[in-house]
Amino acid sequence: MQSSHSSSLPLKTSLIIVGNGMATGRLLDEILSRTPDKFNITVVGKEPFGSYNRIMLSAVLAGDTTVEGIIQKTPQWYKDNNIEFISDTLVTDIDRENQIITLCANNAENEKTQLTYDELIFATGSRSAKIPAKNQNIRGIFNFRDIKDTEKIQSFAQSAKNNNHIETDVYEEKRAVVVGGGLLGLEAAYGLAISGVNVTLIHRNKWLLNRQLDRVAGTMLQKIMAEKNIKFVLGCEVARFDNLTNASGEKILCGVELTNGTYLETSMAVIATGITPNKELGNNAQLEVNRAIVVNDYMLTSDPHISAVGECCEHRNATFGLVDPIWVQCKTLAERLCFDNEHAFKNSPVPTKLKVSGVQLFSAGVVESSDDTQSFVVTDENASVYRKIIVKDDVIVGVVLFGDVSSGMAYFDMMQSNQKVIHAMPELLLGHEFMPEDNNEKSEAA
Amino acid sequence: MNTDIIFTDKTNAPSSVEQKTTCPYCGVGCGVTATVENNTIVSVKGDVEHPSNLGRLCVKGSSLSETVSTEGRVLAPRVHGKEVSWDEATSKVAEHFSKTIKEHGPDSVAFYLSGQLLTEDYYVANKLMKGFIGSGNVDTNSRLCMASASTAHKRAFGEDVVPGCYEDFDHADVIFMVGSNAAYAHPIIYQRIVKAKENNPNLKVVVLDPRETATTKDADLHIQLKPGTDGYYYNGLLSFLENNDLINQTYVADHCLGFEDALKTAQAQVATVEAAAMACDVSPEDLLASYELFGRNSKVITVFSQGINQSSSGVDKGNAILNCHLATGKIGYEGAGPFSITGQPNAMGGREVGGLASQIAAHLHFEDPAEIDLVKRFWNAPNMAQKQGLKAVDMFNAIDSGKIKAVWIMATNPVVSMPDADFVKQALEKCPMVVVSECYENADTLACADVVLPATTWGEKQGSVTNSQRTISIQVPMLKAPGSAKNDWDIISTVARKMGFDEAFNYQHPHEIFIEHAQLSGFENISIEESVNRSPDDTRIHRAFDISGLVDLSFEEYHQFTPIQWPINVATPNGVKRLFSQGGFATKTGKANLIPILAKLPKIAPTEHQVILNTGRARDQWHTMTRTGRVPKLMTHLSEPYIEIHPTDAERFKLADKQLAQVNNRGASLFGRVTVSEKQRIGEVFVPIHWNDSFSASARVSALVNPITDDLCGQPEFKHSPVTLAPFNALWSGYLVSVDSKAMTTAYWTKSTIASGVKYQLADQTAIPDNQEFIQSMYPDINDWVVLKDDKSETLRVAGFLDNVLVCFFVASTDLSQQYSTQYIESQFGKIHKKGNRFKLLAALDSDRSFDVGAIVCSCFQVGEKTIKQAIESGECKSAEDLGRKLKCGTNCGSCIPELKSMF
Ligand SMILES: Cc1cc2nc3c(=O)[nH]c(=O)nc-3n(C[C@H](O)[C@H](O)[C@H](O)COP(=O)(O)OP(=O)(O)OC[C@H]3O[C@@H](n4cnc5c(N)ncnc54)[C@H](O)[C@@H]3O)c2cc1C
Ligand code: SF4
Repeated sequence: MQSSHSSSLPLKTSLIIVGNGMATGRLLDEILSRTPDKFNITVVGKEPFGSYNRIMLSAVLAGDTTVEGIIQKTPQWYKDNNIEFISDTLVTDIDRENQIITLCANNAENEKTQLTYDELIFATGSRSAKIPAKNQNIRGIFNFRDIKDTEKIQSFAQSAKNNNHIETDVYEEKRAVVVGGGLLGLEAAYGLAISGVNVTLIHRNKWLLNRQLDRVAGTMLQKIMAEKNIKFVLGCEVARFDNLTNASGEKILCGVELTNGTYLETSMAVIATGITPNKELGNNAQLEVNRAIVVNDYMLTSDPHISAVGECCEHRNATFGLVDPIWVQCKTLAERLCFDNEHAFKNSPVPTKLKVSGVQLFSAGVVESSDDTQSFVVTDENASVYRKIIVKDDVIVGVVLFGDVSSGMAYFDMMQSNQKVIHAMPELLLGHEFMPEDNNEKSEAA
Repeated sequence: MNTDIIFTDKTNAPSSVEQKTTCPYCGVGCGVTATVENNTIVSVKGDVEHPSNLGRLCVKGSSLSETVSTEGRVLAPRVHGKEVSWDEATSKVAEHFSKTIKEHGPDSVAFYLSGQLLTEDYYVANKLMKGFIGSGNVDTNSRLCMASASTAHKRAFGEDVVPGCYEDFDHADVIFMVGSNAAYAHPIIYQRIVKAKENNPNLKVVVLDPRETATTKDADLHIQLKPGTDGYYYNGLLSFLENNDLINQTYVADHCLGFEDALKTAQAQVATVEAAAMACDVSPEDLLASYELFGRNSKVITVFSQGINQSSSGVDKGNAILNCHLATGKIGYEGAGPFSITGQPNAMGGREVGGLASQIAAHLHFEDPAEIDLVKRFWNAPNMAQKQGLKAVDMFNAIDSGKIKAVWIMATNPVVSMPDADFVKQALEKCPMVVVSECYENADTLACADVVLPATTWGEKQGSVTNSQRTISIQVPMLKAPGSAKNDWDIISTVARKMGFDEAFNYQHPHEIFIEHAQLSGFENISIEESVNRSPDDTRIHRAFDISGLVDLSFEEYHQFTPIQWPINVATPNGVKRLFSQGGFATKTGKANLIPILAKLPKIAPTEHQVILNTGRARDQWHTMTRTGRVPKLMTHLSEPYIEIHPTDAERFKLADKQLAQVNNRGASLFGRVTVSEKQRIGEVFVPIHWNDSFSASARVSALVNPITDDLCGQPEFKHSPVTLAPFNALWSGYLVSVDSKAMTTAYWTKSTIASGVKYQLADQTAIPDNQEFIQSMYPDINDWVVLKDDKSETLRVAGFLDNVLVCFFVASTDLSQQYSTQYIESQFGKIHKKGNRFKLLAALDSDRSFDVGAIVCSCFQVGEKTIKQAIESGECKSAEDLGRKLKCGTNCGSCIPELKSMF
């Protein structure tokens, strides 16, 4: 058994962070900026890289940047900041009673190491959700979550490019399906399409981004994405993956059969239907766990020495999938760890943006109107502009902007601050500059 | 000689040509100098040499170059909607009229003419009907405004003569304005009075009007008398004059008859100032002050027009005024006299040729067989009419009852302007042959026409007009007529020839007609002295209207006509400014008649659930808008029909300011926007007369006017119809700006012309319509739309683009209090709006605030209320003159000056 940094300053609290994703990157910054010397920090991460900007994987896939370009913290950075960084290593077990964790390096499955902690933090994120289709254990089915996934997809797309443009005489079009018409699926499909792959996106709902957009905007989005050479099959799911077996006996994807009976030939499938929080460690350690590891307003789990942040945690029944609230969680946690300050984390809605070039889209709050709301809509069909504001009891409760997202943040602020707007409708819908200046009725705040 | 030669000369002119002509818009008859380039009138200015306006023009006159447009003109003759040749069309008319006359007699046909026709047109039409067809059935829309004054003049002076001239305004000490909103209706005369007041601070202006108007703003005394009580006022005045020894006994003895009777009747009805005050419902002090002003000054003018004339006892009211002037001898000298002002440009000219059913021609009448015979001999007429024809209201009754089977309507729009206009429309729809000579396609009467004949209009045709002060001036052709439009005299002559009257109608040019007209005026015309002393077998007849001094006018002189005031004869070759200074009235005795007047209230009294409808003009609009409705500048002042009402009545009928309401009478309704105003008398509403079916849904005020007429002259009572009021109960209101006109289906709409096309104000009593069904389907060519709406159907805005150019813009809201400024949107029409953030146009308010100058106050320079208020608030401008210097407002026609003043 070894205690981290036992040889150096034993008086320091030892802090271990499990997972080295975006939450960890930010949390480290928050801690170091507050108390650079308070903790002996150890970070254990499953991926072989320093912390990187996962969000930008879409851009990597679209060819707008490279893997190197999105690394935010290199191994050297950890060194420079006196942080012990153990990469390519999985935390497999936790002994809460003795405050010990067990590690296992990826390439040495039987060599387990143990570390003791004073404070333990889960930042294990989430993984791609599974779909219920049959025959998934074959080659050619990918997730889109980390650098490894991205590289696999990329090399596939690359080969597609080569096929298409170099060996013109043995032209063989590469086909791919993307399953899931949410943000992730769209970005994946877009990345593939601009690499020259013939992509079909399969989405369960009647329109794209159905959680963030209404039917009109979803349909407009589809039109624009179709112009970017993406095909769509909406309103159904994958029932079964079909395979052939190659010379070396490997099962290789060759097609998908959909719930509506359609069969699509394809040599690659990217699953992007959603995420599943990585909560298993918490389960094993018998922490309070629901859909994810449950935390209180200060990011503390049911164990007073264990905290959780990011997509692996659940706060007041909410789990997370976007970084903005996670940044706030990191602040809350750092305040408590560094200064014992209790700054309650408050979850607030986050506006949606899609990172596909040429697609302007902004959505916040509710998407569909109901009996007690009034929605104002402006549509410029030929310009593919669609803007909707949903008002309830005088305040904005939902915004959907498509094609022209100007004033989106201003609406979002008005929504957050419960600003009265009905007197400014419908002009406000066209731009926040139409809000009357002498508006004294500001935020009677919730 | 041929008119084409003149056109050729003009159009071959190398560069721009200046041409003197006469404004066609109102009875002031201002001289205009027009600049013509390439068959277009590029600008107009007032003719400094013209005695009527001395260089000034009002806003209507100033925008003449903009009203002249070949857009919307009738271009070719049509029979039953089918375009035909002129030959076919005129043959059709001639044959049908001939056949009808043959089968049913001459009284089965009629002509309905207009004060907008030129004297020569009138002359030919009148000659055809009265001398060759043989019926008196020629009447004109002048009946609607001038018949009372004309008859009153005839009764008092023996002839329809206005004794004074405009110059008198410059010399008067007191000017009474009776039932005349001259500030709006005759701006140049009004400006002259304002100017006279500046020059002579002692000049007092007294206005008799039930309403507060722009004219009352500058008045020294406003007698806000109860509607219809003018007769009581003047009977009271006559009694007052007698009681205070203010009668001019010498003048009465030398030049008048009937004074005693007139006085007795007046005294019996209104003996004292108190009695007059009671009858007129005004304070005795004010009334007395006004009587004193009349009685104790020598230079007194009484201007009277529509307010007196359009009444069921208009002739009597006119004579009540004339009585007072005669009894005091205030007539015929500088600065004094009764002064009837005509509304129409050539109402006087029409009366001179005899264009009314009650006259023959050249101020001769049917009452005396010798007069009939005189004209018969002059014309060498085969079928001389022997009796009066049917007057306007009776004429349309006869059309309805089938007695008249063929009617020819020229240059007027009776479906809009006649009282009980819906009835007129129905009558015309039944009539077997309705011929309409018209310039503009938007005239509602065209819808009733069997034959449509395209006529020339101002700027294209030549002929003379006579204004309110007896000045004859000329209108000259400057432009080529559009399509195959022809001059009215030419059309009538062609039809007359085809009816078999070749000889008498072989005119080649209006010059010939004018000479014949002048000859007739001097034919066997003797001086009043000769007339008084003539022997019983002398068939010669005196007429004051004598222009025989012009019979030798050459073609050139006719074309360059110098304005001149009749009579013009051997004795007075240069015309006459004032008549009757030495008596010499055109009666048998040479003396004027005072007429005993029993003042009467309007024929129908309102019940307790009714108010009285009064009608009149708004500034800047002229008649039924077929012309001025086309000028953007003129539509900005008040672009909607309105209903002006006192706050007390508004409350009683639950009407709110700026909301729509309806006025009901006779099963017809008029929709308009409520203007609550203290200026209105309680129990009375005012509605402007201009809107018609081409410019608004149900805004033809004449449909509500009872067809009650003055027994003496047949003039309808326009100023006094009891009506009921109700809110319009709109569910939404809004507007549509469009590059072109559309058929509107909403219950309420008003169209106005704007620089970029047209604008409709809209309201309806059903829910906001679907954008697809309502707006987009109106524009089948457009498939580029931006639409804003909400799911509670409270708001809808739609913009349509063609090749990225904004061509249509619609706004509707259930919030009826919403006030829209369309100036910014109008300015965006015709511009390219790239796809991108063009949706911001739908903000529809004033996203570029600099465009919003507020409601236009000065139409000439398009200066808005907001701009003016800013100038005042900044302290920069302390008077209307300051505003004029800074913003130019009020410096052209001046008709907005009262409004400017009221802003301080
Ligand atoms: C392609 C893509 C595009 C995205 N775009 C956006 C966007 O535009 N906007 C936005 O707000 N969000 C976006 N997201 C979501 C965002 O990236 C996540 O919300 C964010 O990364 C969550 O951070 P985290 O630290 O909680 O989890 P992660 O970043 O997933 O980090 C968790 C890390 O822990 C590691 N780990 C897990 N279990 C263990 C274990 N037992 N031992 C050691 N290590 C472990 C994982 O391998 C991982 O590296 C996107 C995500 C993807 C995949
Ligand atoms: S007052 Fe105006 S409308 Fe009348 S004649 Fe003069 S310019 Fe024309």
